[in-house]
Amino acid sequence: MTSELPDEAYATALSQLPKMGPAKLRELLSQASPEAVWKGITEPSSSAREEVAKLWWRYCDLGINVVLQSHPNYPKRLLGWPHAPAVLFCRGNSAVLNDRPTVAVVGTRSPTRYGIGVSAQLGAELSATGVSVISGLALGIDGAAHEGACGAGAPPIAVLAGGVGEPYPVRHRRLWERVSELGTVVSETPEGMKLEKWRFAVRNRLMAALSDVVVVVESRHQGGSRHTVDAAMYLSKPVGAVPGSIRSLASEGTNALMSEGAFPVCSVTDVLVALFREGADVTLPKKRKSKGEPPKPKTASEEALYDILTFDPVSLDELVRLTGVDFPALCGDLERLAQAGLVQDLGGYWQRI
Amino acid sequence: MLAAVNSAMLSGAVGCSLSVEVQVSSGLPGFTIVGLPDAAVREARDRVRAAVLSSGLSWPMRRVTVNLAPSGVRKAGAGLDLPIAVGLLVATGDLPPDCTDDLAFCGELGLNGSLRHVPGMLALADAATAPALVVPLCDVREAALVRGADVHGAATLSDLVSVLRRQATWPAIPEEPVPTRSVPGPDLSEVRGQIVGRRALEVAAAGRHHLLLIGPPGSGKTMLAERLPSLLPPLTKEEALTVSRIHSSAGAALPSAGLLERPPFRAPHHQATIVSLVGGGNMWLRPGEASLATHGVLFLDELGEFPVAALEALRQPLEEGVIRVNRAGGSATFPAQFLLVAAMNPCPCGEGVFDGACSCSIVIRARYRRRISAPLLDRFDLVVPVGRPRAEDLMSDSPGEPSATVAARVVAARARAAARGSEELPLTADANTSLANKLREGALSARGLNKVKQVAQTMADLEGTDLVTHNHVAEALSLRAGRAAVIA
Repeated sequence: MTSELPDEAYATALSQLPKMGPAKLRELLSQASPEAVWKGITEPSSSAREEVAKLWWRYCDLGINVVLQSHPNYPKRLLGWPHAPAVLFCRGNSAVLNDRPTVAVVGTRSPTRYGIGVSAQLGAELSATGVSVISGLALGIDGAAHEGACGAGAPPIAVLAGGVGEPYPVRHRRLWERVSELGTVVSETPEGMKLEKWRFAVRNRLMAALSDVVVVVESRHQGGSRHTVDAAMYLSKPVGAVPGSIRSLASEGTNALMSEGAFPVCSVTDVLVALFREGADVTLPKKRKSKGEPPKPKTASEEALYDILTFDPVSLDELVRLTGVDFPALCGDLERLAQAGLVQDLGGYWQRI
Repeated sequence: MLAAVNSAMLSGAVGCSLSVEVQVSSGLPGFTIVGLPDAAVREARDRVRAAVLSSGLSWPMRRVTVNLAPSGVRKAGAGLDLPIAVGLLVATGDLPPDCTDDLAFCGELGLNGSLRHVPGMLALADAATAPALVVPLCDVREAALVRGADVHGAATLSDLVSVLRRQATWPAIPEEPVPTRSVPGPDLSEVRGQIVGRRALEVAAAGRHHLLLIGPPGSGKTMLAERLPSLLPPLTKEEALTVSRIHSSAGAALPSAGLLERPPFRAPHHQATIVSLVGGGNMWLRPGEASLATHGVLFLDELGEFPVAALEALRQPLEEGVIRVNRAGGSATFPAQFLLVAAMNPCPCGEGVFDGACSCSIVIRARYRRRISAPLLDRFDLVVPVGRPRAEDLMSDSPGEPSATVAARVVAARARAAARGSEELPLTADANTSLANKLREGALSARGLNKVKQVAQTMADLEGTDLVTHNHVAEALSLRAGRAAVIA
């Protein structure tokens, strides 16, 4: 192997060294080129050089792009940020990092159905208006946001705490694959690192820095989304929170955020307005023209039932009591309303769609 | 001298007949039992000797050998004490040689010569081949349930010796005690609210559909399940015999009036082992809780806390209605046609039915749900979420519909189902469309479709119509909606 190795190879090798944290790497690479740093701190031998080459080929095989600060695809939002990572690892198209306005949609890993629904809806609507949705690919809100965003328009961006070559959490393997195809999965952690707690905090900070606006959908008291919010506030980026029931534990954090000054997110428009004020080029979505007549309950009993149902799930027991209809007839009516696309069954609890 | 006496022993829940041979020969005084005896049979040596001596008879100062034939099968239980003693007395000449010709003997001996109860008398009486059976006086009535008048009883060994020497007649069978009215179990009228839960019980009872109740702690899942037996019709004569035989072979006392008449209700604790659930044991293969619940209800409270292996072991009986237990010492087949009712919390903290109140993470919830395997979940035709009752319902004085009323509907529905046999009621057009839509949406699997159809048939049977309508199908779908809370 006599061919010259690119700077990226040396930077990758450096980042893989033991005891090499993001801060140390940033400091070293700010002083000299990766190759020079590498030669300065390792024994000059052909075997060491071969190690670098091997590592580099592995990254190429895995399809991981290594983006240095000098690279045109390096996110402009990160330049000048004191914590800006010296190296970014991307699986997928790293060009999307600079393409469009970005919004981070984050939240708890134990959301309610409401949270999952809102998160997926925000993800889809933001993506449809051409905004890249950034999230952590975590279980719960993060995953739901990406589920919504995938295929809805703009390329999604997932920020991982560990290496981008492995899905984390494993349960989101399919989602990780889709995000890499449609957009990019990005991390400042090289492959094969132990997933320590601090990496998640660093990831959350990076998410805030990559996005123009941060939206917290649901967050528990002292949840992990706090890291992202704190970083966003430090960077003076607008933070939005989705209001929730004061009785819901999963909305404790988001409701508290609003009292601290986060703007309430009641629809995608609220987020787009915040983006617009940040100087992003966004257009508000046009009111969709409804095609034909919206579905309506057909019989009087169905209508009475539909009037009772709200967007909060109601148990079947409660419905029998409220309607006074006997159980089999009630089930029939509910089923007809469901077929008409008016209501849905959430496992014995019913609500409007 | 040599003597042979008929007897019977338990193997699983059925009896098998065997022959006890006793030889008294010259040689060093001693007492050996051969023919694969277990510890209880081997100890018969000491009990028989003490009982013979305390009955005023002499013990031979010669060599005594007892063979239990067929000798290749393991022998278990203390019921062989009596045949061994009788055989010995014949062999020593204390009893006339022909006195045991048409008799079989089963009974345990006390050191004072009294005859004691043996478990499984129903099965033993079935198996004993001799024309008449001699048992402890306390077991006569149980044995007579299957053998009629061909059962004799004796209270002590000396009483029995007098009869066999033709010095006395068989003692009278004790007066049948006045059958006590069985204490009524818990009644459905005590349940307040719970419209869906009540309906699920009714459907489960009418169509023998396995039921899973999912709800937060204190919502009344256990209360509902305990009332299911009160909705079931009383056992038929044949069922009563089967159930009584199993219970008797497990050592449970039968009611003084005779056979068990109410469907059994078994509620094993969630620390139950596989053996205690499906049956087994080392020497004496005992029926497990699943068999004891035959023709009744097996209630597994806190389903998620049961050992996964124990739950999976229930899949075969759920499918086939029998349990086969195989051990090195032999195998046994137990009936196990039970109605399975299970209750579980939606998640470890119990509040997960409703959003926001749950404090479990997604991972913890997924782990909890994974304890119920998909094949096991598929066995439940009805998966019903149970919510906490409202305070107004709890405090109201008006009782709910009593069990008797619901039970009458269940009997009628079962009669209708029995009358049509394997023939299925036709579905109306809109019912068919509704099911087809569900299939197309992927909300229903092929197996699920079958289950929904079966449950819908039960709905039609309960209503007394000959057509499965859209309402029936919708209700059947509603009563399995709880699956959404356990899958995912």
